[in-house]
Amino acid sequence: MTGSAITPNDGDLGGRWETLVTVALLGTDRRDPPAGATVIDELVDDTQRARPAARLLAQAAAVTAARRAGARPGAPEAPFVPPPPDDRPACPSAAADRWRHVVAVWPVLEDEWLAAVIAGGWRIEPVLVPALLLRHQRDMARLALVDVAAGPLARWLVDVDDELGDALGARLERITPGSTLALPALPIPDALARWREQDLASVAGNLLAGLRSGQLAASHRTVLVNLVARLTPDVDGLRHLADALSRLDPLDPAVSLATALADLAATRASMLDELAPATAVTPAR
Amino acid sequence: MGRSDDTLGRRVDDPLPWSDEQVESLAPSASMMSAARQLATPTRWRSTGADEGGVWGTVQGSGREPYETVVDHTEVVTRCTCPSRRLPCKHALALLLLFARGQIATGAPSRRTRAWLDRRRADAQPSVDDTTTGDNSSGEGSDDATGDPDNASPPDLPPRDDWDRARNERVESMSGALIELDRWLEDRLRTGLADPSLADYATWDQLAARLVDGRAGSLANRVRRLAGRVGIDADWQQQMLAELGVLHLLAQAGQRLGELPGPLADAVATTIGWQVRTADVLAGVPETDHWFVAGRSDAREDRLEVRRYWLYGTKSQRWALILSFAAYQQSLEHTFEVGDTVHADLHRYPGGALRALVGRRHDGANGLPGSGTEEAPGERAVFGGVAEAVAGVGALLASQPWLDRVPMLLRATVAQDRTRRMLTDSDGSVVLNVPPTAGRGVGAWTSLIAVSAGATVDIAAEWTPEGVVPLAVHLPHRSHDLGRRADASFVA
Repeated sequence: MTGSAITPNDGDLGGRWETLVTVALLGTDRRDPPAGATVIDELVDDTQRARPAARLLAQAAAVTAARRAGARPGAPEAPFVPPPPDDRPACPSAAADRWRHVVAVWPVLEDEWLAAVIAGGWRIEPVLVPALLLRHQRDMARLALVDVAAGPLARWLVDVDDELGDALGARLERITPGSTLALPALPIPDALARWREQDLASVAGNLLAGLRSGQLAASHRTVLVNLVARLTPDVDGLRHLADALSRLDPLDPAVSLATALADLAATRASMLDELAPATAVTPAR
Repeated sequence: MGRSDDTLGRRVDDPLPWSDEQVESLAPSASMMSAARQLATPTRWRSTGADEGGVWGTVQGSGREPYETVVDHTEVVTRCTCPSRRLPCKHALALLLLFARGQIATGAPSRRTRAWLDRRRADAQPSVDDTTTGDNSSGEGSDDATGDPDNASPPDLPPRDDWDRARNERVESMSGALIELDRWLEDRLRTGLADPSLADYATWDQLAARLVDGRAGSLANRVRRLAGRVGIDADWQQQMLAELGVLHLLAQAGQRLGELPGPLADAVATTIGWQVRTADVLAGVPETDHWFVAGRSDAREDRLEVRRYWLYGTKSQRWALILSFAAYQQSLEHTFEVGDTVHADLHRYPGGALRALVGRRHDGANGLPGSGTEEAPGERAVFGGVAEAVAGVGALLASQPWLDRVPMLLRATVAQDRTRRMLTDSDGSVVLNVPPTAGRGVGAWTSLIAVSAGATVDIAAEWTPEGVVPLAVHLPHRSHDLGRRADASFVA
């Protein structure tokens, strides 16, 4: 239907349009376009077209323009019944943006991001909920975290939106209440794991010394990333660490690794800062 | 700019008005600036020169002929014969870099360059800051993705008689193409839409090629898009007949431009594909307003990604459309953020078009010397009910029935029945065109449900003949851009 986005203001035009479509399908070699004394006929009459196909085109143009311009809204529809209320504030927009950065660049931080949302008394910003549900739909442990962090919106969304699929709904139903929030352990060699007991200024010193001496190099990247991801969650300390690592001599062979670790530390610091426990909160949807 | 009248061959040794940083601020992207830096070597350029108003030169590009580049460095308007759609192009940026570094000698421009610069100065308005030359003029519906850079960049102004003759030839060529279009439309309806030849792309492509030859590139794009609709869904014949009717309307109107009122004739001409010089658009009266960036959408049209920003004047309550185009590995305009309000001059294309170009930014966002610094007060558009939004769409379509995208703002909630997805309020509803994602990520429909969560929200959307497309949800504390994004593997 022409202009089906909005219910056309059919009047007499609806019937005329259906007739025009029928003639157009058959072709004017087989059937003449309709004629009458309607406003449309008056409108196209002055064109005095002799050929039936030209008359059909003129009518199609006139009826299309009239129906689109004169369209009216359809009847009101019952909106979705909202989900049960969730008193927790939505996490700040900056935290939502941070999640996008984390999953794109530092996925090792995502578990901590989810845990921080929950521990901070936040709920996931609604626009992120579908993406998180789909991302973790086959990982029951993380899906459980998403379920808690998203609150009632998650199950409501799966219920009303058929695009999210029945399978996801079934998995959510299987989640055991009170899922653990403990962060999964990451492989870190003992020699490095001991640094986790130190203050972050000392860790920064150790890291820089190791990088400068060549004892720590690109081949250690994975374990160093794991280490920085599991250091004490101290925002100021992590910022100090990021600052120290970013000051490595640009000509040092380890500068690329140091820059990456600095970004990881800075990202983690910002993430923890943004998701610090909600106190005075801005009401958010 | 206070330059001395240096003779040919002498370096410009006045205090230089440009710095590398200022040139960089004009670059559409970091990658383009990087490319410009590589080109900013004096040995790569020929026939360079500068005077108090312009700087020019030629550089060998990938084409057979060297590109001719001219920059009006007082008004920051550029012209280059290269096919780039990102403006200013890397050649103009490179030329400005050389100029900024004092590596361009003063000189006298060629007659063609002089004509262009004189024209620029004659038309110059104090606030114009545009850097565009490639003219992608389109109809209101932003049809023009003709991908014809040779047409897009108008040549230097020839003498008036030649100009008139060229214009007349062009009008004649366009009229001929429109007559052929109308004959073709009649043939289709004579044999009927069930004719199997409609499913043959060649049926459409030959017509599109003829329209391009006749300088009716925007109609050629419409024809190509229509070819892709054959058999696409159960309603395709209805959509086809409606669009054939609109094409007939434009073909008829285009043959009678002289009989139409001026603005209507302009609107029809640009919708058909009549090219308008960017400088001419920018020479028009600006509309200064606080423009609410209501929505954005990207669409693949032929071999281009087309980005549309819908801006709503919070004072004028008028819509404007900012278009940008990107071929493979080029970048799209990204200076606007959905939900922001920008204080700027917009210059509309002829005929009261929706499409406009951005002139001076009064919020200093274009970083040009002389830009104002007035802060936008953060005004926001008024979102009405469904009936009001539909009436607004109807009013625009009544004045320009060929539009295939019309913006709307509405305050509504999300609803659905067994077959349709909708926006509704207590007075009415509109049907959405949000195709299922078929498991490919999170679609606009899902995002819309999640963000609104059953509540009434402010929504920016686009009416199309196939349905209303949600573009953004504007919450009190944040806007969510739901518009389709260009394929990241295609654009830079």
